[in-house]
Amino acid sequence: MAGPMVFEEKEKFLQRLRELVQEGVPGERIRVITPFGIPEVEEILPGKRSKVRFFALVGAASGTVTGFAFTILTSLSWPLIVGGKPIVSIPPFIIIAFALTILFGALSTFAGFLLLARLPSLRGIRSGEEYGNAFVILIEDGERK
Amino acid sequence: MAFLEKKGGLAVLIVAAGALMAFVSLTPAPGRGGSLLLAFLFFVAVVEGCIAAAAAGATVNARWVDAVRKELLSVTPLLLVASFLLLLLIPFVDSYPWAGRPGIWLRKDFFIGRNLAFLLLAYVTARRFAAAPAEGEGTKSRAAWYLLVFVVSQSLTAFDLVMSLEYPWISALLGGYFFIESIYGGFAVSALLCLLFRGTPSPNRAHGSRSDLSDISTLMFGFSLMWAGLFFAQFLTIWYGNLPEEVGFLARRLSASPLRELCVAVLFLLFFIPFPALLSTRAKSNPYVVSAVSLSILSGILVERYVFLAPVVRFSPGALAIDFACLLVLFIVVVYQRSRGADRIA
Amino acid sequence: MGNADRYTKVDRDILAAMEKPGRVYLAGLALTATLTVIGGILWAYQIRNGLGVAGYTHPVNWAIYITNFVFWVGIAHSGTLISAVLYLFRARYRTSFNRAAEAMTVFALMVAGLFPLIHLGRSWVFYYLIPYPNQRQLWVNFRSPLIWDVFAVGTYFTVSLVFFYVGMIPDFAIARRCKEGIRKRIYQVLSLGWKGTEREWRHYGMLYLFLAAFATPLVASVHSVVSWDFAMSVIPGWHTTIFAPYFVAGAILSGTAMVITLVVPLRKAMNLHEYITDDHFESIAKILLFTSLIVSYAYIVEFGLAWYGGNVFEMGAFRYRALGDFRYLTWAMIFCNSLVPLTLFAKRLRRNTTYLLIVSLLVNVGMWLERFVIIVTSLAHDYDPYVWGTYSPTYVEVGISLGSFGMFFTLYLLFVKNLPVLSITEIKEHL
Repeated sequence: MAGPMVFEEKEKFLQRLRELVQEGVPGERIRVITPFGIPEVEEILPGKRSKVRFFALVGAASGTVTGFAFTILTSLSWPLIVGGKPIVSIPPFIIIAFALTILFGALSTFAGFLLLARLPSLRGIRSGEEYGNAFVILIEDGERK
Repeated sequence: MAFLEKKGGLAVLIVAAGALMAFVSLTPAPGRGGSLLLAFLFFVAVVEGCIAAAAAGATVNARWVDAVRKELLSVTPLLLVASFLLLLLIPFVDSYPWAGRPGIWLRKDFFIGRNLAFLLLAYVTARRFAAAPAEGEGTKSRAAWYLLVFVVSQSLTAFDLVMSLEYPWISALLGGYFFIESIYGGFAVSALLCLLFRGTPSPNRAHGSRSDLSDISTLMFGFSLMWAGLFFAQFLTIWYGNLPEEVGFLARRLSASPLRELCVAVLFLLFFIPFPALLSTRAKSNPYVVSAVSLSILSGILVERYVFLAPVVRFSPGALAIDFACLLVLFIVVVYQRSRGADRIA
Repeated sequence: MGNADRYTKVDRDILAAMEKPGRVYLAGLALTATLTVIGGILWAYQIRNGLGVAGYTHPVNWAIYITNFVFWVGIAHSGTLISAVLYLFRARYRTSFNRAAEAMTVFALMVAGLFPLIHLGRSWVFYYLIPYPNQRQLWVNFRSPLIWDVFAVGTYFTVSLVFFYVGMIPDFAIARRCKEGIRKRIYQVLSLGWKGTEREWRHYGMLYLFLAAFATPLVASVHSVVSWDFAMSVIPGWHTTIFAPYFVAGAILSGTAMVITLVVPLRKAMNLHEYITDDHFESIAKILLFTSLIVSYAYIVEFGLAWYGGNVFEMGAFRYRALGDFRYLTWAMIFCNSLVPLTLFAKRLRRNTTYLLIVSLLVNVGMWLERFVIIVTSLAHDYDPYVWGTYSPTYVEVGISLGSFGMFFTLYLLFVKNLPVLSITEIKEHL
C-alpha cells in the first residue's frame, strides 16, 4: 500500500481526489479518511447509494406486521370483552403497530449500518492510527502516486 | 383571454359569477343553501390555505416560496368573493338546529357578523402581506398577522358553520383540524402551481438535491402524516369514550352507504395515497406523482366537507355544480392572470 | 487561521469542558445527588407503607406522580424536535443545541419511566405491564392507554438513546484521540473503532437521516399517546379531542423552556459563546413563542366549548378549574404559559438571554402546574357531587418529585463532564 496523502485543506484534498479519478485510478482502490462527512466526495468517487435504507424499510414493515399480528392474535387467544370494545379492536392496535414500526425500523437501520460499515472494527479500536483533522487519501495495492 | 387583460375584466367576471351564484342560491328551492355552503367551505379552505402556505413559508424563510409566491397570493381577492357568499348564506342559517332559540354565541346576527368580520380581516391582512416585498423583516410580521387571523377564521368556520349543524355535539379539535387541512390543501395547490408555472425539475439533477418541487412534496408528505394524526386523535377519542352525545356524529356517517364508503375514500385520498406515493425521494420530484397526489388531496378535502354536511344538510346537485364551477373558474382566472402579468413585466 | 487550526480549536474548546471539575460543579453535583438519594429513600418508605403516605385517596388517585410523568415525557420531546425535526428542515442553528437537547431527552425519559413504577405502589408487580408469554397465556390489555404508554415511551426511549449514541460516534473518535488513560480506553470502545472512511460516512449519513425520519413522528405521537391516558376516559375536562395536539404543543413548550434553562448557564460556565450565539437562542425563543400560542388557543377552545355545549358537567368542571379550590394554580398556569411568552414578540427581549432564562423558568413552572391542574381538578370534581373532594400533597410526594429533579440534573452534570456537549463534527462541517 502506498503512503497516505495527507491534506490540511479541504479544497486541496478535493482537487487531488478529482485529479486521481481523472487519471483513471479505479474508485474501489481509493480510500479516503475525513474528519467529517463531505458530500463532494460522494459525487467524485463512484459508488451506489447506501443500502442502509433497505434495512429501514424491512424493519419498519416488519414492525407494522408484528404490531398488528401480535395484538390481534393475543386478543383472539383469550377473548375477553374489556371496556365494551370489540375483541379485535383496530384503533388501539394501530397505536401499538405504529410504535413497533418505528422501533423495529430504527433498530434495524442501526443494525444495518453496523453491518455495512463493518463496525465495531477491532482494528480501529486497537490500532491507534489517527489522522486528526486532516483529510487523507490512501491508494491500495497500487503504484506510488 | 384578452378580455381579462383589460383593466376591469376580472372585476366584471367576479360580478358576473357572484350574480349567478346569488341567483342560484337565493331561489327558494330545497338544497340551494346547502350546496352553496359546501362550495363555500371548500373554496374558503383552499383560498385561505394558499395564502397561509405562502405566509408560513415567509415566516421561516423557506426557499420554495419564491417560486409560487405571486400565484399563491393572487387568490387574495377571492376572499372578498367568499365574504359575499357568506352574506348569501344568511337565509340558510335559519335551518341550523339552534336557529330561533335565544342564545349569546349562537345568534344569527353575531354568527354571521363574526364570520364575516374575520373573513374581511383575513382579506385585509392577506393584502398587506401580499403588498410587502418577498424578503424583509416587515414581511414576516405581516405574514404572522395573516396567520393569526387565518387560524381564527378557519376555527370559526369549523366551530360555527360546521359543528353547530350538529349542535350540541362538540369536538374541541375541529377548529385545528380545519386549519391544518386548509394549509395542507394550500401546499397541494402550491405543488400544482409549481408544476404548471415553473416546470419540471431537470431529470439530470443529482439524486436527492433540493428543488422547490421536492420541498413542497416533502411538506405535503409531512402534512399527510399530521392530518392522519389529527384525524385519528378525533376518531379515537370519540370511538373509545363511546358517549351517546358524541358518537351520534360518527354513527350518522359510518353506519350506511354511501357515506361509509366516502369516509373510507377520504382516508385514502388524504393519507393512504399521498403517504406511500411521496415516500421515496424520486417520487417527490416526479411531476406525475406529485400532481396526482395534489389532486387526491384536494378531492379528499372536498369529499370530507361533503361527509361532514351530508347527514344534516340537503343538497341540490345542479346548484352545487354551478357554484363550484363559478368558483373554480374564478380561481383559475385569478391565478392565470397574475402569472401572465408577471411574465409581461419580467 | 487555516482550516486545520480552526478545526483543532473547535476540538480543544469543546473538549475543554471535559477537564477536571471545579468546586462549583462538585457542589452542584453533591446537591443533586443528595436530592436523588432522598427521593430514593422516600420511595423505599412508600413501597413499605403504601400509596396512602403520598396522599392518594378517593377521588384524586392520580396527582403529582402522573404530573411528573407527563412533565418529564414532555420535556423529552423538545430534545427530539431540535435534533431530529430541525435536521430534516436543514436548520443550521440546530448544531449548537442538539447534543444537549438529545441528552436532555434521554435523561428526561429515564426519569419519566420511573414514575409509573413509583405510582404503582406495589412496584414489584411492574412486570404485569410487559407482554411476555406466561403460563396462563394471559396477555396485557392492548386496549388500555396505559399499555400504549409502555410501547410509546419505551420506543421513544430506545430510539432516542440510539440517536443520541449514533450522533456521538464520530465525536468519541475525536475524544479518544485527545484523552489519555482509562478515559481513552472507554472512548475507544464507544467509538466502535470509527475511522472516518468514505464508506463509513456514506452509511452514517443515511443512518442519521433515517433515524431523524423515524424520530420525527415520535415527537407528535408519544405525547399524543400520553395525553390519551386522560382523553380516553369519560371525565369532563379530560375527555376532549384536542388533547393530542394540545399536549404535544405543551410538551415542546416545556421542553424548549428546559433547553434554555440548561443551555444558558452551560454556555456561561463552559465559555462556549462562540458556538452558542444569541441568534441561536432567538430561534429557540421563537419556537417557544409559537408553541405557547398553540397552548393558549387550546385553553380558549376548551373553556369556550365547555360553555358552548351546554353540558352541565363540562361547564361545572371548567368553572371549578377557574374558580374552585385550585384557582390560584389555574391563573398562575395561564399567566406563565400564555401571557409571559407573549412578551417574546419583542425582538430585543428574544435576544436577551437573562430574560429568556427567567421566562424559561416561569414556563417550566407553568407547564408543571398545567398538568397538575388538568389532572387534579378533573378528578376532584367530576360527575357525582357526593364524591367531590380535594387533594394536598404530602412530604413523600414532594420529596420524590424533588428527587426526580435531582436525578435529572445529576445525570445532566455527569454528561457535561464526560461527553462532548456540542456536536463537534457537525460544527466543523459547517465552518
